[in-house]
Amino acid sequence: MPSNVIMPQMGESIFEGTLTKWLKKVGEPVKRDEPLFEISTDKVDSEIPAPASGVLSEIRVNEGETVQINTVVGVIAEEGAAASPAPAKVEMEDAPKPQAVQPAPQEPELTPEPEPAAAASRSVRSSPLVKRIAREEDVDLGQLEGTGLGGRITKKDILSHLSGRQGSDVPPSAAPAPRMPGTERSPAGSSEVVPMSAMRKSIAEHMLASRRTSAHVTTVFEVDLTRIVNIKNQHAQEFLEREGGKLSYMPFFIKTVAGALKEFPVVNASISGTDIIYKKDVNIGVAVALDWGLIVPVVKNADEKSFLGIAKTASSLAERARQKKLAPEDVQGGTFTISNPGVFGSLLGTPIINQPQVAILCIGAITKRPVVINDAIAIRSMAYLTLTFDHRLIDGAVADHFMSSLKNKLEQWDEPLF
Amino acid sequence: MELNQQTLLDMLYYMKLTREIETRIERKLYRQGKIVGGVYVGRGQEAIAVGSAIQLEKDDCICPSHRDMGAFLIRGITPREIFAQYMGRRTGVTKGKEANMHMGDMRRGVIAFVSMLADTIPVAAGIAMTYKMRRQNNVVLCYFGDGATSRGDWHEGLNLASVQKAPVVYICNNNYYAYSTPLEKQMAVKDIAVRGAAYAMPGIIVDGNDAIEVFKATQEAIRLARQGGGPSLLECKTFRMTGHSAHDDVKYVPKELFAEWEKKDPILKLESSLLRQRVVSEDAVKKLAARITREVDEGLAMAENDPFPAQAETLEGVYADQNVEAPLAFANSFFSQER
Amino acid sequence: MAAVTYLEAIRQGIWEEMERDSSVFVLGEDVGVYGGAFKLTEGMLERFGEDRVVDTPISESAIVGAAIGAALMGMRPIAEMQFADFISCAFDQITNFAAKCRYRWGAGVPLVIRGPSGGGIHGGPYHSQNPEMHYVHTPGLKVVAPSTVYDAKGLIKSAIRDEDPVVYFEHKFLYRRLKEELPEGDWTVPIGKADIKRTGSDISVITYGAMVHLALEAAATLANDGIELEVVDLRTLVPLDKERVLDSVKKTSKVILLHEDVRTGGMAGELAAIIAEEAFEYLDGPIMRITAPDTPVPYSPPLEEFFLPKTSDIIRVARQLAAY
Repeated sequence: MPSNVIMPQMGESIFEGTLTKWLKKVGEPVKRDEPLFEISTDKVDSEIPAPASGVLSEIRVNEGETVQINTVVGVIAEEGAAASPAPAKVEMEDAPKPQAVQPAPQEPELTPEPEPAAAASRSVRSSPLVKRIAREEDVDLGQLEGTGLGGRITKKDILSHLSGRQGSDVPPSAAPAPRMPGTERSPAGSSEVVPMSAMRKSIAEHMLASRRTSAHVTTVFEVDLTRIVNIKNQHAQEFLEREGGKLSYMPFFIKTVAGALKEFPVVNASISGTDIIYKKDVNIGVAVALDWGLIVPVVKNADEKSFLGIAKTASSLAERARQKKLAPEDVQGGTFTISNPGVFGSLLGTPIINQPQVAILCIGAITKRPVVINDAIAIRSMAYLTLTFDHRLIDGAVADHFMSSLKNKLEQWDEPLF
Repeated sequence: MELNQQTLLDMLYYMKLTREIETRIERKLYRQGKIVGGVYVGRGQEAIAVGSAIQLEKDDCICPSHRDMGAFLIRGITPREIFAQYMGRRTGVTKGKEANMHMGDMRRGVIAFVSMLADTIPVAAGIAMTYKMRRQNNVVLCYFGDGATSRGDWHEGLNLASVQKAPVVYICNNNYYAYSTPLEKQMAVKDIAVRGAAYAMPGIIVDGNDAIEVFKATQEAIRLARQGGGPSLLECKTFRMTGHSAHDDVKYVPKELFAEWEKKDPILKLESSLLRQRVVSEDAVKKLAARITREVDEGLAMAENDPFPAQAETLEGVYADQNVEAPLAFANSFFSQER
Repeated sequence: MAAVTYLEAIRQGIWEEMERDSSVFVLGEDVGVYGGAFKLTEGMLERFGEDRVVDTPISESAIVGAAIGAALMGMRPIAEMQFADFISCAFDQITNFAAKCRYRWGAGVPLVIRGPSGGGIHGGPYHSQNPEMHYVHTPGLKVVAPSTVYDAKGLIKSAIRDEDPVVYFEHKFLYRRLKEELPEGDWTVPIGKADIKRTGSDISVITYGAMVHLALEAAATLANDGIELEVVDLRTLVPLDKERVLDSVKKTSKVILLHEDVRTGGMAGELAAIIAEEAFEYLDGPIMRITAPDTPVPYSPPLEEFFLPKTSDIIRVARQLAAY
């Protein structure tokens, strides 16, 4: 078997050498340890002896060439009976290279971690421990309320949830939610797991956060809207012809609320730490129900707009909302919010404040009801208006004064529409 | 030990054996790429290790350095073990854990030195103190070069050995160069032997190329130590006939110095002296050469076929009773679990 | 037996081993005639003689080197570093010679290097250090740091009997402040086993040395608030009782790592990595560290007080972590 002749490493930091001279030609016989070629490196010039006896059968690196250490520079083939008693030559390729990377021992396949089914758990603050328990016990962390710092779901929270998996864990929300059957694991096939949309997640977080931030109190006022109803009916046609759109009740409310907010600036404020931030602008957001969720476009500077201006802005915003064409500034900067579930039949709501505002007005359905006026029964168009306010800033008396003023303005509406 | 014919023959044998093994290692195997890492030989200094270590008794110890191969051979380390050690095989003295002359074996009374030369100086003192504690008549021969005598441990060790009257013979292999640094750049004294006085021990200058002189000086120091007279410092003056290591081209040594010291070659000196005094015949010398060639050839052939250690052995031997964890053990188990 | 101090316990341990095994001997500065700077080796010279209680020159490197030589020969030397701070002078012998003999050439070095470490005694930078990590970082050494009288005696005996080099850091602040009654007979504390000094369900405090006592103090206060600390005393830094540490963390899910040593490169960093890697899915809060700052140990009392971790630090961090 032939022996490889290699470029040796003459010095720890040496990694290449120049073959300066071959002392034998191809075909010449070679004796082991006999000088075979000369090299030059950064450190030293050397005569290199042959590693085995035989015939120089190949020269692979020529004089003057520089190659890396351990490169095969030539081959010595066996010739007849070997003179030296030395046994098998060392396989040069197998010789340990100074910085060679040895093949790593068997490594098991690294399979990627399967995604947990409850995607909602990822957006909720918890910890590696809680996530693991949630995964193992099939708990949807989005359903839990956390008692840890910043609302984090702690080990205690999930463990106590697991030990008492009865009844609903869902917090009260703006719209009456269908009663949840509890989050215990259903046998496969009887329920469907659907991840929340981004909007839904956002609403969920916002509602929860709002309830935890403000001291929600709700006051209810009954308002006689007969006059406005009449005005609306009288001018509906004209409005349609002039503006090309339907005249709704909302502009009446927006205009009135804007006026009331100018009277009671504290209801148009927000809280920052222990500071009260009084907003100069009156930007009234109007909650719009969409097929896929809820959005609150804002009528900016409602106090400076005319009735018509408000009507136009409001209807344009609603239209764009339905077409998903709202720009970011359309939904930003609100200082007060009006919600109108009355259009869906709700008599009276207890809305959740739209942070960072301090109050929200809910308009119930306008229905004809028998009421007592001057000790006689009359049929009037009535509606319940509820104001949920943040008792950190607004006391009951203030809220009621605000609502009184609002009620008066609405009941005695005498603004021109055009 | 008597300096008789057998002893002289043995000395010649070990010196020539040293020379042959080191030549194979430095001038052949290293250049053939069969050895990786550093190669350090004591060419021209063979008399120092052999002349001193030849006198040791069974339970004595040596703390050798890298140019004292003759001492290793005298203690029973074989050529095959040395070749296997250099080639990183499992049959090497350290089973592949350590390189070149960094080897030892307590059963044969050889302490493996560390690269921080002079660390063995206080260690030798501790061994010698143990002999004293055990009321044993044994000695330690501790070898080092001129370079090592500049380190703090050298001085701390000699100081401790002398105040404790420890039975150790400190043998300095003053080959004039510490890598590229000549003696006059290393120290202000002309002779290292004068430092003996600083530690109240005899400081003897010896011709390091005269094996018989080395023998006699060591004999005296050993006698003193065994009698409870404490340590001695022998400065064996010699010359390093190679580079510091096999890859050193030694351009810093004037060629005339090499020529001058070539004439004082210790093996030639002893051989011609023995021939002249008819202690040995020409024929005996030839037979000795043939024997050495055969022993070295055999040892090398075996070592070249010896296996490398298994990779798992990397983690073995750190403690007597503890395992060392493989670095990826946790990752492997954690990611292969069912989840 | 009557109650003994931490210092006395170490002395007893060494003494008993020297009686039991004639290969055990002591060497160091002022250990013989003077009985040791802290009187730890008092009486030993008279009892065991000059051969076995060796007064050395000021040569930490040679002290350790000679101990290595003796250990290679089968003796069991105990090399004293008068203050643990001075161990740095022997760093090369310890890390390059003693630690590597077995690995390199199969030769055991059964020696013990011991010395008083730690601050709180107005010692300044060179009489107050906690140098353990330099040796924890060196494969081939074992490193122990007892916190109680019982552990001090049990561990010095184990260290002496161990076949490998053991670096034994006793805490000088505890020398005479701790007193305990010890059992009779020949007993040891195993190297490589941590000890739960207090069980608890809320937060694991992993610590060693003098800080164990601060952790126990804090635990007593916090118990009144319904926060139960589990105090895990490592006792041995290398080989680490990883299993016991992880068991505790998996139980409580919250952990405070506490040591008197400086922050960077301290044992807390090593433990934090192990816990984050091997107990990731058991953590219900971030891994907290309470350590000294990255400065030399200052001298003036208000500075040293600032430097050393305090019980109030532990209480505060534990409260914050519990509330997370």
